[in-house]
Amino acid sequence: MNQNRVDEYRRNFMTALGGVAAVAVVAPSFVLQTAHAAGEVTAKPADQAVTDAKRWGMLIDVTKLTDGGAAMVAACKKEHGWGDEAHSDATQKAHWARVVKVTDKLTQNSFSLPVMCQHCENPPCVDVCPTGASMKRADGIVQVNKHTCIGCRYCMMACPYKARSFVHEHLVDQKAHSPRGIGTVESCNMCVHRVDNGQLPACVDAAPDAVTFGDLNDPNSTLSQTLKAIGGKQIRADLGLNTGVRYHGI
Amino acid sequence: MTSKFSNIFLASVLALATLLSGCDSAPAAGTNLETAKQKADQCVEPTDKMRSNHMSMLDHQRDATMIEGIRTKQHSLNECINCHVAPTKDDGTPLHYGDDQHFCTTCHAAVGQKIDCFQCHADRPAGDENYQHKVGSADAHHFTQGVVSAAMPTAAEVQMVVQPQQGAAQ
Repeated sequence: MNQNRVDEYRRNFMTALGGVAAVAVVAPSFVLQTAHAAGEVTAKPADQAVTDAKRWGMLIDVTKLTDGGAAMVAACKKEHGWGDEAHSDATQKAHWARVVKVTDKLTQNSFSLPVMCQHCENPPCVDVCPTGASMKRADGIVQVNKHTCIGCRYCMMACPYKARSFVHEHLVDQKAHSPRGIGTVESCNMCVHRVDNGQLPACVDAAPDAVTFGDLNDPNSTLSQTLKAIGGKQIRADLGLNTGVRYHGI
Repeated sequence: MTSKFSNIFLASVLALATLLSGCDSAPAAGTNLETAKQKADQCVEPTDKMRSNHMSMLDHQRDATMIEGIRTKQHSLNECINCHVAPTKDDGTPLHYGDDQHFCTTCHAAVGQKIDCFQCHADRPAGDENYQHKVGSADAHHFTQGVVSAAMPTAAEVQMVVQPQQGAAQ
């Protein structure tokens, strides 16, 4: 009887200890990247303009994306309501973000990664825009001001990442926070409406283990620290665009 | 000469006033529009200022929001829509710009105005959101001034806003 009671105590103790140990093992990668990163995106007062004190960016760890980023793309579709254009063919449909599969021809090694606007420091799309509609905000977010976009699609030609698409048809029931319509070019805007409200972009929320979002200008941000620790590659770094979206494991 | 010009000016002002007064005519039967009209006293600006200047306010706000990320609610198009437009018509079908029950359409039709706002922007609140700023909600008064004297909603108005729209569940 007594022996049984001791075993019961021991079992409970060991179970509790195991739980603590499990948390300790998971913590360095998980807790640091999600909880802290979310805390770093603080809501900006609604009546104040963004400044260049911050530069938003993200690091996507492709090795931790089990689906190659499909969940991130799905979250983007849901957030902004793109992708179900009924009258557009496959080459015309919107693609704010897409999953790109890369295969090394020599070794046949293959992996997938999500590719969207890379939010360049020196964006070619802004250089070529004749009306100033393609613009970079002070905090580094590159977006299209559709009020002045004339739909010439120069920026689509200029972008080395194929990040932009053009709306070919009349749309109805757009999301209130993400206006999009016929005759304008559109692309990932890093969920600017969410970031301004202190939330993470939808794709980051969809893959919290794999993506770190934060301030590239702050050397102490989780993003900067993670980049320092594990590094992060730019796609087509040779172009010297200094992208805000970085990848690990490509 | 001067008097001739002032006459022309006066005439055009009168013509505009006549056109705008068309907006005062009784709304088509429908709770959506009646609610919107009854809330004129609670608007972020006086009615006459809204009638003549709403577009310049929206223009200013759109540039501030797009370029500088300023997202105040007072002159936000989203808030106009949330307050003045219901997601569905009286019969439960989606309400869009161009329908005679849409708040914006009523006046634009009277003055022959063609706008492009709703080619991109949502022309009705999402069904599950706090549309028409349900009475008593925290969002009901998001303006900064001149709202203390806002008229209390009548019992009928409260009923209208609080009760689910007829057929909204369809």
